[in-house]
Amino acid sequence: MLTDVTEEMGVEMNEASQRLDECLLRFMDQLELLEEKRERLNSLIEQGWFSISKARYSMGNKQVSTLQYGSEIEPRVQINVRVLENGEAEFDTQRVERLRSEDLEKDPRQVEDIGPKDEGVRRRGVTKEEDPKDQSVAPRAYVSKETSPPSRELPQHQDPLKWFGILVPQSLKQAQVSFKKVIELSAEVATLQSTVLATRKELQVLMGNKHEKTPPRHTDRQTDTRCINGGQTDEESTSDS
Amino acid sequence: MAGRGKLIAVIGDEDTCTGFLLGGVGELNKNRKPNFLVVEKDTSITEIEETFKSFLARDDIGIILINQFIAEMIRHAIDAHMQSIPAVLEIPSKEHPYDASKDSILRRAKGMFSAEDFR
Repeated sequence: MLTDVTEEMGVEMNEASQRLDECLLRFMDQLELLEEKRERLNSLIEQGWFSISKARYSMGNKQVSTLQYGSEIEPRVQINVRVLENGEAEFDTQRVERLRSEDLEKDPRQVEDIGPKDEGVRRRGVTKEEDPKDQSVAPRAYVSKETSPPSRELPQHQDPLKWFGILVPQSLKQAQVSFKKVIELSAEVATLQSTVLATRKELQVLMGNKHEKTPPRHTDRQTDTRCINGGQTDEESTSDS
Repeated sequence: MAGRGKLIAVIGDEDTCTGFLLGGVGELNKNRKPNFLVVEKDTSITEIEETFKSFLARDDIGIILINQFIAEMIRHAIDAHMQSIPAVLEIPSKEHPYDASKDSILRRAKGMFSAEDFR
């Protein structure tokens, strides 16, 4: 009877230890990946700074500074956050330009049909009363309106690069590219950080479970050593000598 | 918060902020409140801490990027933040390279292997 219970406990202990080992290995892998991504992030940021410095050198010290920031600043990148059941958060970047073009693709009729139709009817009515000379002008105006992109779908969304001038050096463009990559990578790093913390919590729970299942042998050993040392702990015995 | 995406906030020196704003993270909202803070020599620690806390309180911010040397100034505030959103990312600055041993998240992860956990 007693052997059955101890065998059961042994099996449970093995399972708990195995789960703990698996979790620990996963944790180590995640830490390694985090370090790898961190290194890439840091080198990309450095690259970006280097490009900014080069741009500053060619444009002048005050031309690349906070004074040049636009008065209206709109985000061109957004983060989509998804929270999983274990409290882990997943971050994903999305460019706003891409969002806008997707919206236009979803609803192309608004752009093609409604605008030009209204405009065309109005023009026809006006030209009846006007001189025949003006008739040649009216269709031209109609055509030009048809080809120009509708302004209400695409609001003014200035590229931050233009804060620093119209003809900016190539190095500033390179800096922008580097920082765009950094932004994408930072979302990945944030996701990994969240994963690492979630796995750490899981490890703590598993470790707690394992400790609950282990018989309290540790305290017995402590008392044994005390007996051997003649009632003194290791530290006390070393300090005396 | 599935419909609208969140923002990335930045607390950093001039070049860090300029770089990230070039990348397109900047925003000035309706109340003309920016999602970034350029830390200069005369910026006080209180101001940095208040800005950091205001970013934590905003529900439209998903990630806060902060230079590690600035994070060191308000370490207690960063350590006190335990939620997964917004995530706080420590990044290097021009004068101060990134030190993993100072990073809040990695220190928390390292804490896993302290003697306390093995008791």
